[in-house]
Amino acid sequence: MSAVSNRRVEGVPLPLVLVGIAALIAFPLIFTSPTPQHILILTLLFGAMGTAWNILGGYAGQISIGHGVYFGIGAYTVGFFYANFLVSPWLTWPLALILSVAAAIVIGLPTFRLRGHYFILASVFIVDAIFIIVSNWEAVGAAIGIEYPIYREGDLAGSLWALQYHDSKLPYYYSALGLFVASVFVSWRIQFMPLSYYLRAIREDQEAAQSLGIDVTRYKLVALIISALITTLCGIFYAQYVLYIEPAATISIIISLEIAFIAILGGIGTLWGPVLGAFIIVPLTEILRQKFSGAIAPGFGSGDASLLLQLEYLLEGGGGNLDILAYGLIVMLIARFQPNGVLGFLRRLD
Amino acid sequence: MTDALLDVRDLTKHYGGVSASDDVTFSVADGEIFGVIGPNGAGKTTLFNLITGFEKPDRGTIVFGGRDITGLRPDQRNRAGIARTFQIVKPFPRMTVEENVITGALSRTKGVAEARERAGHCIELVGLVEKRHALGRELSTGQRKRLEMARAMATQPKLLLLDEVTGGVDQPSIPGLIDLVRRLRDDGVSLLVIEHNMRVIMELADRVMFLNLGRKLAEGRPSEVSRHPDVIRLYLGSGHA
Ligand SMILES: Nc1ncnc2c1ncn2[C@@H]1O[C@H](COP(=O)(O)OP(=O)(O)O)[C@@H](O)[C@H]1O
Ligand SMILES: [Mg+2]
Repeated sequence: MSAVSNRRVEGVPLPLVLVGIAALIAFPLIFTSPTPQHILILTLLFGAMGTAWNILGGYAGQISIGHGVYFGIGAYTVGFFYANFLVSPWLTWPLALILSVAAAIVIGLPTFRLRGHYFILASVFIVDAIFIIVSNWEAVGAAIGIEYPIYREGDLAGSLWALQYHDSKLPYYYSALGLFVASVFVSWRIQFMPLSYYLRAIREDQEAAQSLGIDVTRYKLVALIISALITTLCGIFYAQYVLYIEPAATISIIISLEIAFIAILGGIGTLWGPVLGAFIIVPLTEILRQKFSGAIAPGFGSGDASLLLQLEYLLEGGGGNLDILAYGLIVMLIARFQPNGVLGFLRRLD
Repeated sequence: MTDALLDVRDLTKHYGGVSASDDVTFSVADGEIFGVIGPNGAGKTTLFNLITGFEKPDRGTIVFGGRDITGLRPDQRNRAGIARTFQIVKPFPRMTVEENVITGALSRTKGVAEARERAGHCIELVGLVEKRHALGRELSTGQRKRLEMARAMATQPKLLLLDEVTGGVDQPSIPGLIDLVRRLRDDGVSLLVIEHNMRVIMELADRVMFLNLGRKLAEGRPSEVSRHPDVIRLYLGSGHA
């Protein structure tokens, strides 16, 4: 027993980690009403994505405000085929992952040459450009998006095949928990691999890393692909959960910012930072959203989610909603003044 | 000449109107300590950047171990057997000394455990054992130079390029650093050493090349080069001796 109780997982005692997992497993059995379950599902989903983002943004130091692209690829791939041809997501998820890797390569190769702020800006403009394209692309529902045909049969086999559950949130909850645990596990495991040394070296000093034989573009790409694959799986889950896909809630800057924000607020480059960030941000914004509709909400970006269009409204003196600009500002302020996030703050109190 | 470890031919590099490297030709033999001296702005660091692949030459070739490496990236040149330190040191500030050196060792080893072992030897070699768990940013300038040497040595190079080892280091630490460079050579590594301090280079180098305004003005044994009229006029005369 002491072998267990003395072990730590990145500073957190192993027993506490196990208790945490047990609590998450028990949660929906204790809180049986839909609202807390919904909030926790979103928390786990964004926790998984914040953790995945952190592999690229935290470990490798490549701050991307464009992960909505990979989230959207997951949601749109399964959504498009189900809505149009009733093809089960079980058959289309591999395609989503392939598209995700392809997008990571096409986006990563040219932008990884850019340093610092230029990389961040490129990621923003790419996600915004894709947002605008998808918002005008009739085949995928344009700005309205894709409405899922609801699978109404009551039988379990049919439900599993369609990956839709309407009687209970439990299957969704445990799928989200699975994604979350898997993402944290991958992030934890990487720390013991040569890859983690390569990524941190790239983050700390790219030229020094190169001088030690590290192919920086290759390993940035590896980090992006791992990160993108997990985010795409989350996008698939999201589509199956809400059964309605729109560009603003998937490929938007606001979703991209939120994924990054969770990791940055919690503590960038650490294992538990993004987890902490998700458990702070998501319940908070979700409760606020339910109290005052229109506030920033995970997965439910309100209004027009294009940065360019927002700026246009702003310049015209119109009343576009300024979620994006506010979010962006907070991200920059934290990055500037509290780079270690809440976790770094707690550690200093310790 | 053809059995030289490093063979540099007609290496030329211009930055706008400045010629930072002008038809530089030289070679380094196996096991040699080769010194590069010259006033500030002579093109010494540029030469290192060209050899290690951080800059592309306008003209000229670099042959290493019989293989033309002129087109390779810096990381590929490291895996070919060339390692370097930087004049303005670049330790990984938020990684420990050990993690810094493990990162270098991973260039040649498969797993982290094996790399840690290799890193241990290199940390010992440069005398940073008691700083093993300190962060890169917590080190003094001299310790940072040692860390960079350990990290570069961990990649198991055949040729190590040291840019201003004693630059910015306090006087009492200099003999230790000279001693260290000799030990690196005894470890089987050839060295290309940029050094401002003439006394250090006289003591250390087998051969020396003198650069000014990107051009090679003299080459030979340290005692010969230090007697060369251009060297005296441009370098020793200006208070560097
Ligand atoms: N990246 C660069 N861009 C423009 N000029 C440069 C660059 N690097 C070096 N130079 C110029 O090239 C010349 C040689 O510089 P350098 O190689 O650093 O000299 P040294 O190391 O001998 O002091 C100097 O005139 C310097 O200003
Ligand atoms: Mg220099």
